[in-house]
Amino acid sequence: MDMVTLNHVSYQYPLESGEVIRDLSLTLEAGRVYGLIGANESGKTTLCNIIRGFIPALYKGKLTGEVRVKGRPVEEYADGELATIIGYSFQNPFTQISGVKDTVYEELAYGMENIGVPREKMVERVDELVRIFHLEELVRKNPFELSGGQKQRVALASMLALDPELVILDEPTSQLDPQSTDDIFEIIQLLKQQGKTILLVEHKIDLVAAYCDDILLLHQGKLVMQGSAQQVLTDPKVLDYGGQLPQAALYFLARRAQGQPADRIPLTVQQAYEILKK
Amino acid sequence: MNSAIGKLYPTTKFFVLLALVIVCIFQPGWQLQYLMLPVVLVISLLAGTAKQFLGTFFKSIFIIILFIFAIQVFIVANEDAQPIWTFIHFSQTGLDESLTMTSKIAAISSLVICYFQVTSVQDIIFAMEKGGLPKKVTFVISSNIQLIPQMSALSKTITDAQRSRGIETEGSLIVRAKAFVPMLGPLVLSSIQQIEERVLALESRAFSSKAKKTSIYEIEKTAADHALSWLSLLAVIAYIVGRVV
Repeated sequence: MDMVTLNHVSYQYPLESGEVIRDLSLTLEAGRVYGLIGANESGKTTLCNIIRGFIPALYKGKLTGEVRVKGRPVEEYADGELATIIGYSFQNPFTQISGVKDTVYEELAYGMENIGVPREKMVERVDELVRIFHLEELVRKNPFELSGGQKQRVALASMLALDPELVILDEPTSQLDPQSTDDIFEIIQLLKQQGKTILLVEHKIDLVAAYCDDILLLHQGKLVMQGSAQQVLTDPKVLDYGGQLPQAALYFLARRAQGQPADRIPLTVQQAYEILKK
Repeated sequence: MNSAIGKLYPTTKFFVLLALVIVCIFQPGWQLQYLMLPVVLVISLLAGTAKQFLGTFFKSIFIIILFIFAIQVFIVANEDAQPIWTFIHFSQTGLDESLTMTSKIAAISSLVICYFQVTSVQDIIFAMEKGGLPKKVTFVISSNIQLIPQMSALSKTITDAQRSRGIETEGSLIVRAKAFVPMLGPLVLSSIQQIEERVLALESRAFSSKAKKTSIYEIEKTAADHALSWLSLLAVIAYIVGRVV
């Protein structure tokens, strides 16, 4: 089933001269993990905002083309309805806290409160999230007192409280230390196992290679490459568009250039190790 | 907030506050109003907020009261003013007027301070939502209350950043005032910048949903709440009847 479909979508911010997204068409299938990559200012966040419906609901400007979520035009969804279908996590963990709740426990329930979930169900769901996200030690704390990594975990858990089918993660680890980054990717792995559709914007390309099924490469607002992670992240053309390749792939491409044949270009260090062992 | 008083429903405490404020406003003289100070202190002691109350009272209301006394008794030239030194004189009328004026200020402000110290913001917001206030209104109130410590933390970060770049931020009043001005720009701009991200974050949590909002936090009215609310109402009626008759 198609979760999201974009047909010839272009977008221009108000007061800007050029289009940020240019004639972009794509389909996100349910249950797959997509890595959205590209250089800075290639339009990744704007594309996420279009899919989520923030453009044109909250950002004005000129949007053309068609955006459908679960087969229905995005503008037809009622206020707040998309939040239950698409979860969105942002780069900055410090601005993702609602700012109106005294404890992490209440923060986790905030989205459910807004859609009128009965208290008993909320308690059940929050308890479940606390267990899954290992938030036992944080539940009584004020969300503003948490570290960046803890805030990001709480923000992710709060977003998932609404049990969305599609999860958009816009550089969720860009401001986090390595341990917190690992924690976030553990959660992504869990979401993947639960069969959620994930759109992950991430610059840590080795992690993208390890977790994503498909890759979308944006360059100056255009979708220039798309395909399986194996296809895209082993293609040196990615570098021409300002993208990056995983370390393992780069190493094997360099070996191939030096005349050492390789049947397959690995994506992860583990895969590289196994090929070299043979 | 764990005391018996702290656990009372916010509207119950509000009704008690309202009843006492009404009596303080309409009761002539100053004795009953000043008597309210020890009453509030006892309430604060029982609620475990006495230290907090005294701190707030002496830092704010007490200074205002002293100022009013000084002006009314020693500066304002009433007919019965007796000169002490140049423009300073003593006036019995001024003393009587300031007693009446300050007694009301002291009583009402003490009651209000006490109310907010024995009632959590969370409880007030819950009662407001339960009372049917739109969630946008309660959001604005609670987010503004939470915003103050955040702004304070942000200003500290900016001050630290400026200090590390050699700007003097400590010392005399003039030095601190000079350091305060360049901090305002980044503070305001950062806050504005965060608004956009916060709007998106809230929208991701279905803030604009038209559904009737529920709450995971819950407080309920007890028998004591009902009794106190009725008692407050009856007390006000009895007082008004007593005054009229």
